[in-house]
Amino acid sequence: MKTKIFLTMVLALMFLIDAPSILAQEMTKEQWQQEMSQFTAKRNDLKSKLDKLNGDIKNLQEQSKKMDADLAVCNGELLKLLGITQAEYDAYMNELSGYERRVNELMRLSDEELLKYRDEIMKMNGRANEMAKHKMALIPRINDRIKKLQDNIASLMKTLDKSKTYTVGTWAKDRDCLWNIAKKKDIYNNAWMWPKIWQGNKDKIKNPDIIKPKWVLKIPAGTELTKEEKSAANSYYKKKAEAAAPVQ
Amino acid sequence: MILKNRIGTAIAVFTLSVALFISGCTSKPSAEELRQLNDLKAEVNSLEKQIAEQERVKANLEKEVAEKNDQLKQCQTDKDAVKKATGQ
Repeated sequence: MKTKIFLTMVLALMFLIDAPSILAQEMTKEQWQQEMSQFTAKRNDLKSKLDKLNGDIKNLQEQSKKMDADLAVCNGELLKLLGITQAEYDAYMNELSGYERRVNELMRLSDEELLKYRDEIMKMNGRANEMAKHKMALIPRINDRIKKLQDNIASLMKTLDKSKTYTVGTWAKDRDCLWNIAKKKDIYNNAWMWPKIWQGNKDKIKNPDIIKPKWVLKIPAGTELTKEEKSAANSYYKKKAEAAAPVQ
Repeated sequence: MILKNRIGTAIAVFTLSVALFISGCTSKPSAEELRQLNDLKAEVNSLEKQIAEQERVKANLEKEVAEKNDQLKQCQTDKDAVKKATGQ
């Protein structure tokens, strides 16, 4: 009998101890109600947030469409003002972007490597100058890009000039003398610039009338003679004149 | 002795009754109600996902509109400059 009572009490105690955990695992009606209210409120908030978002998106889409139309009108008017077609505009812009990209590539080359691209750079320089005269260059932002391109090409050409050389050929075959070399289109395109070559190569050229085949002459950059070069040229002409004068 | 036993039995029966009352007589939601709650949670989850997606769409559109606005302003500036340069 005592054992029965003892076992019953143990069983009851176990129930009492375990009851809270049983209750925690299984939701009570009250908790359910609470969660339902909480999630319903959250759902309603989210729904109104989503509705507002959808409204904003619709407005933005309409705004974007209107802007497309306005932009098309504006671009059309701009092209009309310039008197060019869209295709011409696109071609110009593509060409400009292409040159910008190419010049940037060339600017990364070493001076020696750059020499191989002399013709291409000269061609680009000519084309950039033509592009600067095009109606498209009336647009300030394009004009700025063209100017930058021209500056970069000028810097490339300066590098080319710094490292420009000429290998002397023979008189018989090439008719090479300082006068004729300076006259060459890719040198100075001006025979009167010959003293520049002389003064730039004083280590080799002692007498400007004598240059030897296979000499590699430096071609200094510039389009005009310096004071020193002019003075050297004058003293050369003076000596020549004295030598040519008949002895009395 | 008999009295003692009876008191013991009474205590045991009382304790057992209280325990059973606590664990067994608390009201619980029905299966249908639990399903409703789960559906509601799923709906909230889905709404949160939709909002995240629409917020991304909105941000992209705002960026697009801002870019177009800049282009439009640029075009107007270009037009004015060309007009000035050509004397129109």
